[in-house]
Amino acid sequence: MVKKQKNNENSSKLLARAAEVWNERALGFITEMNLQIERSALDGVQLRMPYNPEFCVDEEGTMLHGGILTALLDSAFGLANFLAIEDLESMATIDLRVEYLGPAQSRADILVFAECYRQTRHVAFNSGRIWFDTNGQPEVARAMGTFSVTRGTNSLLDKLNTMGPGQ
Amino acid sequence: MTLDKLRAQCDRVPFFRFLGFEITDVDDDCIHARMEQSARHVGNPVLKAYHGGITASFMEAIASTAVSHNWEILRPKPINLTVDYLRPALVGTLFVRADISKKGRRMSSIETVAWQKDPAKPVAKGLFHFLLV
Repeated sequence: MVKKQKNNENSSKLLARAAEVWNERALGFITEMNLQIERSALDGVQLRMPYNPEFCVDEEGTMLHGGILTALLDSAFGLANFLAIEDLESMATIDLRVEYLGPAQSRADILVFAECYRQTRHVAFNSGRIWFDTNGQPEVARAMGTFSVTRGTNSLLDKLNTMGPGQ
Repeated sequence: MTLDKLRAQCDRVPFFRFLGFEITDVDDDCIHARMEQSARHVGNPVLKAYHGGITASFMEAIASTAVSHNWEILRPKPINLTVDYLRPALVGTLFVRADISKKGRRMSSIETVAWQKDPAKPVAKGLFHFLLV
């Protein structure tokens, strides 16, 4: 069984494994986004979402809909919290605020960085940013999120570990 | 724009087809829509609830459709958004209503509400700003 442990020399490997468990147990929309974990650490995660014309606003598939960026941030915040909060039992998004800094116009992969920059007993605070995997392009979005957190001994990680894929 | 014209315009947007909603009612300042849940909307592996990003995307889609409808803009430019998640959006149909709160010359502000069985018990509310120029 995978355990999240801080202050352990193996902690980065364990975190990577925990992130993979999270991704493997995904279903529905997260599967549609086809997220790949590029970095998984206590202080933040980086995910890659491959180009998908289904998420675009135009038939030519050159511009992503803003909603997909919001969805990506929501997912990335969830994973950042999952890794950063040791005794996480469950969480729910309280609110999200997203700023669209420019048109999301590219066929390149999308990258997202998300961090849980503060956690209290009941609340996790997140920030994130999104950019295309191309040289020199500015960020396309920034976001803040707030999550309601339930802590306890029935860890979400154990729950995911005992479930089959996509359950 | 008539309801049929608005629906035809929505049908030409790949991401709107991915979401699979239907505009049900339209007047000058308000648009209603509904969306049946499909497997690809699910975000929570435990509750089988809608992914928060799907609820937000649905609200943003209807908000931008309200802007398109009022200003005859094909693709309104979103500036920012705030989504307030009030209840879990569980298995079942999701309804969204978008109201135009500000009709500026350069800017518009749209308020949305999403609910399931009871409009008095919203699952989420949204506030969206769009650039009109």
